[in-house]
Amino acid sequence: MSFEWPWQYNFPPFFTLQPNVDTRQKQLAAWCSLALSYCRHHKLYTLGIMEVQECPVFNHKNIDRKLSTEAILIVFEELRKKGNLEWLDKNKTQCLVMWRRPEEWGKLIYQWVSRSAMVNSCNTFPPEFHGLEEWMLIRSLQALQTDGKAEVITMDDGKGVKFF
Amino acid sequence: MLSIDECMSKQMKTFKYNLEEFASKHKQEIHKSSQFRVQFQEMCATIGVDPLASGKGFCWQSQRLLEMLGVGDFYHKLGLQIIEVCLALKHLHGGERVHHQGRGKSAQDVSQDDLVRAIKKLKAMENGFGVISVGSSYLVQSVPAELNMDHTVVLQLAEKKGYISVSEIRESLKWERERVCHVLEHLLKEGLAWLDSQASGEPQYWLPALFSELTSLDVTPEETNQMTP
Repeated sequence: MSFEWPWQYNFPPFFTLQPNVDTRQKQLAAWCSLALSYCRHHKLYTLGIMEVQECPVFNHKNIDRKLSTEAILIVFEELRKKGNLEWLDKNKTQCLVMWRRPEEWGKLIYQWVSRSAMVNSCNTFPPEFHGLEEWMLIRSLQALQTDGKAEVITMDDGKGVKFF
Repeated sequence: MLSIDECMSKQMKTFKYNLEEFASKHKQEIHKSSQFRVQFQEMCATIGVDPLASGKGFCWQSQRLLEMLGVGDFYHKLGLQIIEVCLALKHLHGGERVHHQGRGKSAQDVSQDDLVRAIKKLKAMENGFGVISVGSSYLVQSVPAELNMDHTVVLQLAEKKGYISVSEIRESLKWERERVCHVLEHLLKEGLAWLDSQASGEPQYWLPALFSELTSLDVTPEETNQMTP
């Protein structure tokens, strides 16, 4: 299924950081939403600021408009404030994108596990969550652990998890 | 946000204003053209507007609405004509009830569609009307905006392409730069315009209200001619 662009994507001013504060708020909200859906669609978990500038999301060649680096960083800061993004380095060149937050993943995992009646036994990572990067999975399990619903166990051949 | 149905009845009320000031301004035209009156009496009936229903007084919004309706465009004329007929019939027929013609199915369809289009056109002026399509239905956004004649004229200019620039305005209206900038600043402030600083040459000011209209079904000149009674 191809990605569906929102109407703003074809609206040239969308790529100019708006001077009016209220308009800018609407604009940033739309950008956050677009960035997250794009990452979700393409299963992107980590972004490098260099590649991101050339990514079709921020660089719309058809209408010859691109979001400036400054504006991209502002969008990313919004995402960070909402808990959907985390910088991997102080220089802000690489970041983790959590289009689904660890708690949300944790819930999904627990639901899957409960449905599969694997509760109260040890298990290795479920194959259904293929594509889910390990760091994200570990965070999700940690979220479950905090909730008292799971325990991450280190075994000889890697990590395992026990669900309660 | 109102549903289209709620808004359409609200628009009906809008069109039925008691406009004393308007009457005195246009009394002569109304007196002169009885044919005009009859034509629009018929249109009123088709649209389902009761020209003799009295409005609840005169507020600033309706005044602005009137100011903006003076544009050479069918749907602006539609709104204006409905108001004119309301007044004409009220003043000249002394409260006689207008006999509504029976509404056939096609007349009904046309009138609903006309009203939706009229609202869509009026949204270009953003004077309390904004139609946003949400999936297959519409939401009407009632956001009052403070607009004067200068703003209106610039909005009208922008309607052609959905955007406008400082030099385009200056060329068209022969205004001084300061006056142009003042208007554009206000449109930005009201959220009616967005700035595009990546346009070649000079910045452009785009109207999002017109943008979604441009990408969806619009009214062609032929359609307009067909619909004019």
